[in-house]
Amino acid sequence: MFHFVDQIVELDPGRNALGIKRVMSGDTFVRPNAGGETTLLSCIIGEALGQLGAWSVMVAQDFAVRPVAGVVGEVAITGEAAVGDSILLDTTIDSVTDDAVFYHAAASVDGATVLRLENALGPLLPMEQFNDPKELRERFARIRNSGVSTVETQTGEGTAAPFDLSFDEILSFEGCKEATAVRTLSGSEAFLRDHFPRKPVLPLSLLLESLLQLGQKLLEDGGSRYVPTRARKVKMSRFVEPGSSLVAKVQVTERSADNALMKFRCEVEGERVCVGEAEYSTVVGENR
Amino acid sequence: MNTDTIYPKVREIIADVLAFDEEEIQRDGSLVDDYSAESIDFLDLVYQLEREFKIKIPRGMIEQEARRGLSDEDFAEHGRLTDKGLEHLKEYLSEVPEDRFTPKMQVSLIPTLFTPETFCKIVLREMEGGGQAESD
Repeated sequence: MFHFVDQIVELDPGRNALGIKRVMSGDTFVRPNAGGETTLLSCIIGEALGQLGAWSVMVAQDFAVRPVAGVVGEVAITGEAAVGDSILLDTTIDSVTDDAVFYHAAASVDGATVLRLENALGPLLPMEQFNDPKELRERFARIRNSGVSTVETQTGEGTAAPFDLSFDEILSFEGCKEATAVRTLSGSEAFLRDHFPRKPVLPLSLLLESLLQLGQKLLEDGGSRYVPTRARKVKMSRFVEPGSSLVAKVQVTERSADNALMKFRCEVEGERVCVGEAEYSTVVGENR
Repeated sequence: MNTDTIYPKVREIIADVLAFDEEEIQRDGSLVDDYSAESIDFLDLVYQLEREFKIKIPRGMIEQEARRGLSDEDFAEHGRLTDKGLEHLKEYLSEVPEDRFTPKMQVSLIPTLFTPETFCKIVLREMEGGGQAESD
């Protein structure tokens, strides 16, 4: 399952939406953090916010368009969501044109913000190329009313093998400086079934998560533990389809005792598919 | 005000959007051919310019304004520019070097002509109260 909005509790289509994502122990995208607590991957919280924005626009445009990931000006990671938590998703559409949606969003747990998206832009593409609109309407009806049951969420997520975030091969690795790695999308990855049924492509959220983790490994080669706190100017310029080999290059541009900056660039057959920057902080305390 | 006034900011935004150093951006370079701009970059660029200069850039504005006074059929046939269409486009995109226009070029390739100066002109026009169509 690659649907992360369990329930839409308030909706002003094309403007504001409030939704809920419950974090379950059987979720594919949960991981133990440094403190031993099982938490949802940050980029999946971002994905959930993007998906809520997508529902808002799709409903407003009667399921004629499919918003996809394009640019995120800033992802601010300010906390975590652990198993048992309900994440409140709050997405605001700033504007919609014929070809794109512009929005910002925040996710919170018990009133504390855990992740924010700023200046996000999603191209609007013809729905028919990505999904059967009928299926999406049905799903929307379920999550708009009572929400998907915990059973459905848990069975759906729990039966899938955990998503492997690592690259297939590290091509080069120079600690605290730069690394290149490759991952080939086989086509059998579980997330491709929903993203998207008619056009399976690598989700930006999963790509970003694996890039952030690769950067973390690079930085940790220096002995300190760094965690990602921010990603900026993240842009997906092309779809990565099954059979494509994605070559990622991450490069540490600044590193001090407290924080570090990284740039990344991904290509398929020499063409740019994704670029961006990330910021890390050294860990204070056990939990992060 | 002229495009020289806003060029430094426009260049900064273009460099940022296309992940180049500012020094690498040439005012008459082709955003597509020289800086590998993709359609998502144009969406991003227009959005950033709108935010920075507090303007609205109507989508499809360049093509619409270039064909001003020409019917759809007079501007292009089977997705390719007519001779008249090409003349209108050259006149409208006067900042683009002459040799980059090709007879009967595909309408879908018009964005390959856009340069940083093209966007300076668009921004300036919108800052001064909208496109030519409205000011006529």
